[in-house]
Amino acid sequence: MKEKYKDRIELLQGTLDLMILQALRGGPQHGFGISTLIRTRSQEALQVPTGSLYPALHRLETRKWISSSWEMAKDRNREFKFYSLTSAGRKQLTREESKWKQLARAIARMMRPAEEA
Amino acid sequence: MSDRREKKENDLNRELRDHLDLETEKQVNAGLPEKEARDAARRDFGNETTVKESTREAWGWSSLERFAQDLRYGLRMIRRNPGFAAVAVLTLALGIGANTAIFSIVNSVFLRPLPYPESNRMFLVGRTGNRIGGISVSLPIFLAWKEKQRLFDSLGLAVYEGNVTLNGNGDPEQVPAYAISQEILPVIKIQPALGRNFQSEEARPGGPKAAILSDTLWRRKYGSDPNIVGQTITINAAQWLVVGVMPALFEFPIPFGRDSQVWLVFQTPASNQNPSNFALCIGRLGPGITTAQAAAVLSEPLTGLHDQYPNMIGANERAHLILMRDFLNRRAGTAPLLLFGAVGFVLLIGCANVANLLLARSTSRQREIAVRAALGASRWRLIRQMLTESVLLAMMSGLAGVLVCVASLKFIIALVPASIPHTGAIQVDANVLGFALLLSLLTGVIFGLVPAVETSGVQLRTRLKEGTAGGGSGRGRGYLRSSLVVAEVALSLVLVIGASLLFQSLFGLLRVNPGFDSHNVLTFGVSLPSKQFDTGSKAIAFLDNFSTNLASLPGVKRVSYASMTPLFAGAPDILYSVEGGDPSFQGKAFDAGFRFINPDYFQTLGIPLVSGRAITSADASGTEPVVLVNETMARAVWPKGNAIGQHIWIGKPMGPASTEPAPRRIVGIVGDINEASLATPPEETMYIPYGQAFGGRNDAVFMIRTAQEPLGLTPAVREVLRGIAPTLPLSTVKSLDDIVAESLTDQRFMTILLTLFGAMALLIATVGVYGVISYSVAQRTHEIGIRVALGASRGRILNMVLGQGLLLAAVGSAVGLVASYWLTKLLSDQLYGVRATDPKTLIGVTIVLLAVAMMACWIPARRATRVDPIVALRYE
Repeated sequence: MKEKYKDRIELLQGTLDLMILQALRGGPQHGFGISTLIRTRSQEALQVPTGSLYPALHRLETRKWISSSWEMAKDRNREFKFYSLTSAGRKQLTREESKWKQLARAIARMMRPAEEA
Repeated sequence: MSDRREKKENDLNRELRDHLDLETEKQVNAGLPEKEARDAARRDFGNETTVKESTREAWGWSSLERFAQDLRYGLRMIRRNPGFAAVAVLTLALGIGANTAIFSIVNSVFLRPLPYPESNRMFLVGRTGNRIGGISVSLPIFLAWKEKQRLFDSLGLAVYEGNVTLNGNGDPEQVPAYAISQEILPVIKIQPALGRNFQSEEARPGGPKAAILSDTLWRRKYGSDPNIVGQTITINAAQWLVVGVMPALFEFPIPFGRDSQVWLVFQTPASNQNPSNFALCIGRLGPGITTAQAAAVLSEPLTGLHDQYPNMIGANERAHLILMRDFLNRRAGTAPLLLFGAVGFVLLIGCANVANLLLARSTSRQREIAVRAALGASRWRLIRQMLTESVLLAMMSGLAGVLVCVASLKFIIALVPASIPHTGAIQVDANVLGFALLLSLLTGVIFGLVPAVETSGVQLRTRLKEGTAGGGSGRGRGYLRSSLVVAEVALSLVLVIGASLLFQSLFGLLRVNPGFDSHNVLTFGVSLPSKQFDTGSKAIAFLDNFSTNLASLPGVKRVSYASMTPLFAGAPDILYSVEGGDPSFQGKAFDAGFRFINPDYFQTLGIPLVSGRAITSADASGTEPVVLVNETMARAVWPKGNAIGQHIWIGKPMGPASTEPAPRRIVGIVGDINEASLATPPEETMYIPYGQAFGGRNDAVFMIRTAQEPLGLTPAVREVLRGIAPTLPLSTVKSLDDIVAESLTDQRFMTILLTLFGAMALLIATVGVYGVISYSVAQRTHEIGIRVALGASRGRILNMVLGQGLLLAAVGSAVGLVASYWLTKLLSDQLYGVRATDPKTLIGVTIVLLAVAMMACWIPARRATRVDPIVALRYE
């Protein structure tokens, strides 16, 4: 595992779910759209491989945190499978978000003293 | 693959393709040529198959899909093991089928509501604490009760009329009839399908005679004539107006009246002094009124009636209401429920057997199950999968069982005795099918659960290792299998003991000497219309003339007639007093059965005259009233042996209206016969010459002793009757042997079915013992080989295996004997001449069972002695 830590940031377990839910906060989105959103918002730092994205989407759907339906895309005359947040997913996102913030703060505090010392 | 899953698969393919398209489009927009853009997109996408696979994993399985998987798997296992499946399905189908068949009887008798609206308010109104009359009441009682009618929606009387003669529309014939008061149809809340109930003017004494026909009679005799209502028909030589026809399948709710074809209006008088109990009172209680309230109110007038008829109505008599359903069920008795229990045992034994088969088979599946567990199947998942398999087997058996039930129901209904009401309603209805379904499910769980839990709980490592070592079926498992066999043996012992007790009773009853010779006797009834035969002497002249004509037929040895045949259940008693003689007789009322007979009665039936003189044709009306008594009566009333010459006065204790004009002198004593039933000892009975019968006797039953098969004489008898009275029909033509046989239908029903169940149980249990011992021998081949190699003799090996089987059978028998001790007591009511805990039966059946078990072990034991040590040791 350790030698795989290189340039790209490895996602922590569970953070992918968080990011997908976050990406859907703005409204329904298809798989490609979610992947693009994550990449652009992280300024190309995070790239979700398809092999992780789709299993995660389907897992979240089984858990009823997101739902899906085939819908016409606004910009073209074609149906895509759009995912959207369910109310359970919204609650989960809030929970995960605060957990994540706590974790991020804790890691930040952990790093700071080392610099100061 | 399920549709749902297929759709999901298509969705996924499309979704991924869309992703690829969008990526390609993006690259094209970035300036790459079409083909390169696509390649780049593919590269970026990664391995499509891997993506799909990992996505599919995220789907998981819904419980329905898992169930479908289990089902497919179960079907595959059944297909792969058709022999096992066949044995299991056959065993269980027999069990489930028999259970369902018996349930259909229980269902119609005990579970389904009576086929009358709101039958929970229908009551038979009788008395408790009465010494005479049983469930029937007299007119004074009914009239007193009718004054309290406000408690009832309706309260009516039903009177047994026996057979009535119908003339016109074809041959004259006799059909069973009941007289019912106007209130009866409102009580049972069923209206005629055609026409109407009796009207008030018809219900008054002296009013027009009205009759209601059954649907069967209307169709058969009157060709379903829609204009029958309003027509006049001839019943007992009188004209009756048909006012209605009852609906099809209507059954009158009185046990004796179930097959009634005609209902005549009973004209209720305003007042009456006749204290004899001849009618059944049934009522529909008003809503919200309890039986206790009603009984309290109806009991009040009984006190006054006791003062009026001290011998007919006791001082402590109280009114008593019996729910109609309970009254009918009481006659049906416990037989259906006992059989239901017994047949449940058969199914349990079958379950134990199939569980054992499954256990044996699961041993060979140990490795498979261990591998599945190692690959991550949870224990619950394994149990569920195995249960699905067994329930699948059980459902197949259930289906076959329903077929067995449908096929056997006819046979069983034919055995059902008359005491069980509404046999026409016994059918495979939704209740019965639901029961079969539930029973199959339950069966599957019962026989599947033990092996499933047992097998799924194996220690993975030991099993995987053991798989190669072979031979080692755990000790715990052997113990479980043995316990199942012990249970099988115990249950079948109980059933076989029960069956053998009933069998002995039935054979005991068949061997009972009834006191008369029933072989080669033809019996039939005639009833003389009272209009035409308005005096006793006219009737007797006819009967005697008929007798003389019959006696001249070839093959006729002797002709007699009487008021009823022997073994006529439900004949009435009568009270009498003893006149003169010992002062202790003063004011005492005695109670005895009575028959009217002609002089040839005793000789025709082979009943001996014990002392005194016989009756002759000289004992007619106008001569000294005489009577014969049976030995039991002579002994009971005159223990000193001086019965002959005593005078008795029949009816005197019942009040002036019922008293005979003069006392009778006892002129002879005749041998006892079983008048009521073969199972009850002879009761005190008086025989009165027909010529001196009270009340005029227009009904007679002929008994003709013949030289050969009696029924062959019937056409000749009909011919004779047609010659002297063309309008008179013969009724109920039977041989006396048939009458004796019919009196045992209750016992025969129970005995045949329980014997059948006992035989099934014994067979299944034997197969069970055989299976366990052969399996154990197969498992121990290795060990037996070593024993033989070390010098054990064949005899020793044989004894070892037989000993193992004997131990199982002995433990099972011990448990079964203890259980029998308690359970066979339930049969006590059905037994005759043998006690429920008869030691000879208990020991005898146990020995037979042990012997059968030994035989079942013999084959595997022989196989064990033939084990070749070299082969056995090299094996595996």
